[in-house]
Amino acid sequence: MKRRMNARVVVLETVVAPLYWIILAASVWILLRGHNEPGGGFIGGLVAVGATVLWGAARGPSSARHKLPFGDPVLLAAVGVLASAVSGIPAWFVGASYLTHQSFMLPLGFTELWVSTVMLFDAGVYLCVWGAVSGFGLGLLAIDDDAGDEGADAAAPRARATTKAARRARR
Amino acid sequence: MAGTHDHSSGGHGGAPGVALRGHAMGLASRAAFTLLPAAALALLLWALGAFELPQVWRTPWVPSLGIDLAFRLDGLSALMLLLITGVGTGVFIYAGGYLAGHPHQRRLYGALTAFMLAMIGCVTADDLFVLFLFWEMTSLTSFLLVGFNHHDQQSRKSAQQALLVTGSGGLAMFAGFVLLAQAFGTSSISAIIAAAPAAEATPALTAAVALVLVGAFTKSAQVPFHFWLPNAMAAPTPVSAYLHSATMVKLGVYLVARLDPAFGAWDWWQWTLQAVGALTAGWAMVLALRERDLKRILAWSTVATLGTLVLLVGLPGAGATAAVAALLLAHALYKAPLFFVAGNVDHEAGTRIIDRLGNLRRAMPWTATAALLAGLSMAGIPLTFGFVAKDAINSAKAAEQLLPLVQIGYGVFGAIAVAVAGVAAIRIFWSHRGMKELPKAHEAPIALVLPPLVLALAGVVLGAVPSIARPLVVAAAEAMWPIGTTGVAGALERPFDHVLEPSFDIASMVGMLAVTLVVGAVVYFFWDPLHRAFDRVAGRLDWLGSAAHYARILKAIPRSAAFFTRGLQHGRLPSYSVALLLAAAAFLGGAILVGGGLLGAGMFDGAFAGGGLALPAWTPPSVAITGACLLITLGALLAGVFEQRLAMILCAGIVGFGSALLFLFAGAPDVAFTQFTVETVFVIVAASVLLKLKRLGRTTSIRDPRNRPGALLAALAFATAATLVFLVTGADPIDPSLSAYFSERSVPDANGRNVVNVILVDFRALDTLGESTVVMLSFLATAPVLFSLRLARGSRGKEPKR
Amino acid sequence: MIWVIALAVWTTLLVGARLAMSRDLFRVVVGLALISSGIVLMLFSSGRVSSAEPAVIAAGEKVLPATAANPLPQALVLTAIVIGFALICFAFILVVRVVRDAETDDAEDLRYAEPAPTHAVEPPASPEGCDPRHPLDEPRTGGHP
Repeated sequence: MKRRMNARVVVLETVVAPLYWIILAASVWILLRGHNEPGGGFIGGLVAVGATVLWGAARGPSSARHKLPFGDPVLLAAVGVLASAVSGIPAWFVGASYLTHQSFMLPLGFTELWVSTVMLFDAGVYLCVWGAVSGFGLGLLAIDDDAGDEGADAAAPRARATTKAARRARR
Repeated sequence: MAGTHDHSSGGHGGAPGVALRGHAMGLASRAAFTLLPAAALALLLWALGAFELPQVWRTPWVPSLGIDLAFRLDGLSALMLLLITGVGTGVFIYAGGYLAGHPHQRRLYGALTAFMLAMIGCVTADDLFVLFLFWEMTSLTSFLLVGFNHHDQQSRKSAQQALLVTGSGGLAMFAGFVLLAQAFGTSSISAIIAAAPAAEATPALTAAVALVLVGAFTKSAQVPFHFWLPNAMAAPTPVSAYLHSATMVKLGVYLVARLDPAFGAWDWWQWTLQAVGALTAGWAMVLALRERDLKRILAWSTVATLGTLVLLVGLPGAGATAAVAALLLAHALYKAPLFFVAGNVDHEAGTRIIDRLGNLRRAMPWTATAALLAGLSMAGIPLTFGFVAKDAINSAKAAEQLLPLVQIGYGVFGAIAVAVAGVAAIRIFWSHRGMKELPKAHEAPIALVLPPLVLALAGVVLGAVPSIARPLVVAAAEAMWPIGTTGVAGALERPFDHVLEPSFDIASMVGMLAVTLVVGAVVYFFWDPLHRAFDRVAGRLDWLGSAAHYARILKAIPRSAAFFTRGLQHGRLPSYSVALLLAAAAFLGGAILVGGGLLGAGMFDGAFAGGGLALPAWTPPSVAITGACLLITLGALLAGVFEQRLAMILCAGIVGFGSALLFLFAGAPDVAFTQFTVETVFVIVAASVLLKLKRLGRTTSIRDPRNRPGALLAALAFATAATLVFLVTGADPIDPSLSAYFSERSVPDANGRNVVNVILVDFRALDTLGESTVVMLSFLATAPVLFSLRLARGSRGKEPKR
Repeated sequence: MIWVIALAVWTTLLVGARLAMSRDLFRVVVGLALISSGIVLMLFSSGRVSSAEPAVIAAGEKVLPATAANPLPQALVLTAIVIGFALICFAFILVVRVVRDAETDDAEDLRYAEPAPTHAVEPPASPEGCDPRHPLDEPRTGGHP
């Protein structure tokens, strides 16, 4: 345990909480402006991945995993793909082909908001990239994290022998 | 009934009493199965009376390929159908008695029924591919039936052999069919037959016909594919009588006869059929001399008859055509009963070895009668249908100029056929040889006696009154005769007016008959010495035969497969990579060479062979781009130089950051930002992998051998070829229409000003959806690996190895 | 312009290919990453690198000016980068798994899929029965200093 504490930079651990939310907010901003300015779902998603990986590096991958929406990268990516897929359906109601994006102006009283299925599509891409890529990152970090306990494992030869026996038995 | 006898040694295993799982069939279910061919036979006879031939029925099956589910019933089909259902009825009755109480009798009936349906489809199909389908079905059901005694290794081997030989022949035939269908633009058999005489013999067509002939020859056991048929005698006797005598093996003959009006005018078609047929007819009969097993003797004589049929198809002229039809019928009427007889002898006496049989007429009078009647027909004695067929053959031969080979082959066939008939009908029933070795033989039950008697009697009746069979034979012959051979004055030529009428040249007929009979009798009386002498000689030459070649091929296939697989799948990853990169380089380089007109000019036409590819001109690059490129180059070079893993990934990171800079300077902030983020995460991920590897004891990379010229060459070739393609592409003027379209339609159609993003999420949204799915799936694929890595945490713990 | 980029592409592909053919599994993956970088660079630049102006239409405008960069290769490359990265991660995880199971990262020692033959024709029955130097049973000899 001590070794693990030393391995981490304490400063990073304290700074990471505000940083995480700032980066996430930036990523959402990048996502939303993407249609008209540089940005978009792919980049926004990758920036969000940066936030998650940062959290994972600072406070451990499982903590970062729980911090994700739905608490699971697979689920997050799946929801993203699903959102993108669903965004193409409204086109059918107006007789257009699948994924022909529909938009309209939503009156809000004081102003009008431009709403489009493109938003849902791009958000889906964002979630998919965020989920999948941060899943990779956290997965690899987690392997490393597990290895942190390994130095304590003194009974190495015996353990190794049992592993082998188990492996044989599996075959 | 049969259970009281000892008959364990015969070819039909699984005698009653042997404890096998399964249920014996009752009389009712056997009768129900037997009703099927009987009903088909009745239907056929009714239809032949009620309808005018030919009858056609077709419905689209695979319209996109122009394949119809087409069936056509003409004279030849009707004759074959008559054999299939007629002999089939006998076989179904016989099988009920022969395997009475056998636990797998139901399976046999099932396979026989499937086989019969396949045969019916085969001989009525009017589309090449429909025919092929049913043809393969007969091969498969034949495999099941030959291997019916699957606990016997010999049986399994024979089944495999039959399947491999006829199956590979079927593949050749399929290739031929595809070529034929392409050559004629249709797969309808009747349309091809109508069009073929006018067609030019192109190499493709010639190859097609040759391939089809290979298929037909394997099915009909012609030399050099003759060896499988006698081995298939491992099947139970009803199967042998049905498949390997009366019906399936005649499919090859049927096919060549069916196509004879199309290609019969070709010289090589005639010669091939005559030569192969004559060779088979003579040689198979001689091989019959080597056998002691009654069923195998009959099998060889069947092969010889098939050869004769092929020979007759190869002969031009109307007489030969009629002779084919007559012999088809005659052979079914005498060979099926003889097989039944052999089965009865086996069933009741316990052996089929002719040395141990003799004087069976007392014990089995009805079987003996059937054998005698069938034997007379086989020997071609007057007043049998065998004689009628022989007469038709002789008059057909008299009308043609014959190759000497045909004369010899047919002569040998005729003589030994008489001897074989003598062995099957006289030797085992009337002579006293081997009688003492016999166990107590009894007459077989009625189900085993009735079918051979009826069929053999039919042969005699038709022989006495050939006019009964005449309409059928004439109709079949007409179906094998080229369409449109009308006389000059428009009046139809009638080539078949005198079919099956006795030829009036009595003297020559009697002379020929006498010669055949005398030679046959000599062979019959000296069967044993001839057998010994011939067996000794032939035994030394076995290694030359096609059966030996078959065994060699069977052994060589897995060996060569192992050789090539181990050459290609050697399990060394670096060599795989070399091969992959070299292949990629070869394709890219080939494209350059062909596109540059340096190679294969004229091989390609149109845009690809423009010839003379140019390299782009040198333009002074901007400072920013140059800097980014130099950064990339430097990073790549350093990544190649450093052995240290951490240094290497940092250098790879430099390549990525350089690319990001380049994208930024080239007006692609989106891509630059993406690349930048990816590169950052890449370095983090790679570093964590490094840490992990270090904990596993793999701190340093493995040093590659200094000299790997192959790898260096592959890398150089790949990089250079790819870069050349890139340069050549850059020299051509770019086609801006697509980019211009997106640039113009972005705002009006999609309300988006970032064209790149609009392309991604709007114009090409389906692609993007697919790509995000790929990203998710690639993660999903790693999830189990990650899970197992985490799972193993508790028990892992390895010492870092030093 | 294109010649400078070609130099970068060539070097990246060359080094990437060289690493991809290496014995060391880690380097193989890095080599793959380099090859993918080189190809992305190539695809991007085949749309012509001529302008530093982003492919974004100014507010109020309708059409992208002709001086702007070509948006099409950008869109293609953008997704290629992300997918390529996902696959590199996949490869890394496989490497870790292989190293943990086989206790080697030397590609020459990995003969799980195609163990050395024991018979002229028959496939090797099991990894244990075939190769006395199987990585599971024998410590690796060469490779590490």
